[in-house]
Amino acid sequence: MAGLVQNIDLALPDLPILRYWRNRGLKAFEAQGVPTAKTEAWRYTKPRDLNSDDFILSVTLPIITKSEQTQKIPFACYPIIFENGILYSKISEMPSGLCIMPLIDALFMDIETQEQMGIHLDVENYPFAALNTYYLNQGVYIYVDSNVELERPIVLINHSSVGPENLFFNIHNLIVLKKGAKAEFVEYYNYSGAVKSRYFANIVNEIFIEKDAELNHYKVQNEAFKANHVALNMVSVKEGGNYNGFCLQKGANIGRNETKVLLKEKNASARVDAAYIMNGWATLDTTTDIEHLAEETCSEQLVKGVIGGDARGVFQGKIHIAPKAVKTSGKQLHKALLLSDGAEIDVKPELEIFADDVKCSHGAASGELDEEQLFYMQSRGIDREEARQLLIDAYLDEVISRLQNDEISEWIRSLIKENQSIIG
Amino acid sequence: MSKTLLEIEDLYARVGEKEIIKGFNLTINEGEVHAIMGPNGAGKSTLSYVLAGKPGYEVTSGSIKFKGKNLLAMSTEERAREGVFLCMQYPVEIPGVPSSTFMKHSVNAIRKHQNLPELDTMEFIKILREEGRKLGLDNEMIKRPVNVGFSGGEKKRLETLQMAILKPALSILDEADSGLDIDALKVVAEGVNALRDGKRSFLVITHYQRLLNYIVPDYVHVFADGHIVKSGDKNLALELEEKGYAEFVREK
Repeated sequence: MAGLVQNIDLALPDLPILRYWRNRGLKAFEAQGVPTAKTEAWRYTKPRDLNSDDFILSVTLPIITKSEQTQKIPFACYPIIFENGILYSKISEMPSGLCIMPLIDALFMDIETQEQMGIHLDVENYPFAALNTYYLNQGVYIYVDSNVELERPIVLINHSSVGPENLFFNIHNLIVLKKGAKAEFVEYYNYSGAVKSRYFANIVNEIFIEKDAELNHYKVQNEAFKANHVALNMVSVKEGGNYNGFCLQKGANIGRNETKVLLKEKNASARVDAAYIMNGWATLDTTTDIEHLAEETCSEQLVKGVIGGDARGVFQGKIHIAPKAVKTSGKQLHKALLLSDGAEIDVKPELEIFADDVKCSHGAASGELDEEQLFYMQSRGIDREEARQLLIDAYLDEVISRLQNDEISEWIRSLIKENQSIIG
Repeated sequence: MSKTLLEIEDLYARVGEKEIIKGFNLTINEGEVHAIMGPNGAGKSTLSYVLAGKPGYEVTSGSIKFKGKNLLAMSTEERAREGVFLCMQYPVEIPGVPSSTFMKHSVNAIRKHQNLPELDTMEFIKILREEGRKLGLDNEMIKRPVNVGFSGGEKKRLETLQMAILKPALSILDEADSGLDIDALKVVAEGVNALRDGKRSFLVITHYQRLLNYIVPDYVHVFADGHIVKSGDKNLALELEEKGYAEFVREK
């Protein structure tokens, strides 16, 4: 047992690219450390548990069958299964134009992947992404060839089944959509059993969307109630490309999903939506940073949360518009429903506009359940709890109904309802 | 002789510090239609909210019995399940909740209370479409979120649709005619009349006599200053239409 930095055996220690990233990651993490109250980017989310010295690096696969996990997905997909952060070695058959393999295999075999790795990943500014690259080992490389439109979504599942020990695992994925490619990528972090450990899932996705390509990215974070989940999505979008991101967070004690999107060329666009629902003592953090780097780029964000108990919702949304990024539009809206006196939200919108002729807006609102609506429903025989539930579901549904894939949105609706007991 | 459904005795109620219902008495038997008429501000809507159990409407003394049970001891939803239905003057909008979903929850809550099996979606949609058609509510509207973007007439039709489906023992219509054109008013009235079977009862609260041309009451009560000041048959409504409420307001 030890703290977050440990010396363990990782695959291919002598491969220069891996050595480079592992060294750089270590240095960058040591320079930054676990964020404290003074770390501006982590002002509202304090990952105190991550200072403890009882983490165990997850290195072996426990015994749970892969099919058990895929059965949880109610639609046809190309599955990628992780257990406690470890990839099942075999990846199912794939259609032509799609390649999925362990990231370190891709880095070993392919110079192009080596060159692409980490292009936008300034680990010096992201402590946990730095830590993640120090342990660069687990994760997949996903490649969708030019003009290929995938019939099914790619679904990455990580299932946590840890015992009493505080496991720590890192997953690092690199996703490339070549020119004109279209794909859907789902990430599902879940657990089973009575998981009471403070395990730590540390995720990095590097996503490259080339000219006119389009990625719909859906994520569900439903970790065990004491767990820590920190993720960074580093997305770059080229001319005419489109990134559609959505993240539902409803688990973990500290959950942070951070997305940085670089709209690098003309007509690149992004939607970065999120929903969260939580009570207890948890903090769920949605942090976005959209960089409009070229003209006529467009971004949109709708984030809605439902917070009860003594839980806390955090939204930090930054929109940066570079001097040459004229005729761009950036919209951002965060809304939260507070169900108790102890519930709290912290919102930090930031607009940095260095260009003329741009359309930008941001807004934030919070409120409580509407007593008139509750009374109306009760007056029709619906009990108060059920009425609250209907209103909460409806509140989040404004985000869910924007998703482009009906099967996935139905699945996400069912996950929102699962084991949900939001008490005011 | 028909059975007593609702019995209100010497009721006093207030909203905040203000006493609004003062010494109100009314008995409604099964199958009867009672109309309560009165000047604006007399407390007619307060009465309807007290019956439905709206938070903030506090009964300070008196009793209300419904089917012989103490209505005041029941929560809003229990009253609804027992058969009290309030057709609201201003039904709220509920964005994000489809009308059909809302009504399904409502019907099944009441069926559960009556020890009836819950309806599955197919059965429910069939009933909903049938009843909706009678009231001029098409399938598209039924799928829309509750009352969102509905005109005044459409809102009242949706209220009437719920009444038609829930088949309550007592329907309270609070200013059901406000803001309605004559066609919408007829639809609401037809909905009520279709439910009149000699068992179900109605309390029609209205300022104008107009609605009572279509829903003909057995009794008419004049409500002023928190209680009933005069009772009669349907002719009383016509009289009020002619003379206005001046005589009762002056009593103050």
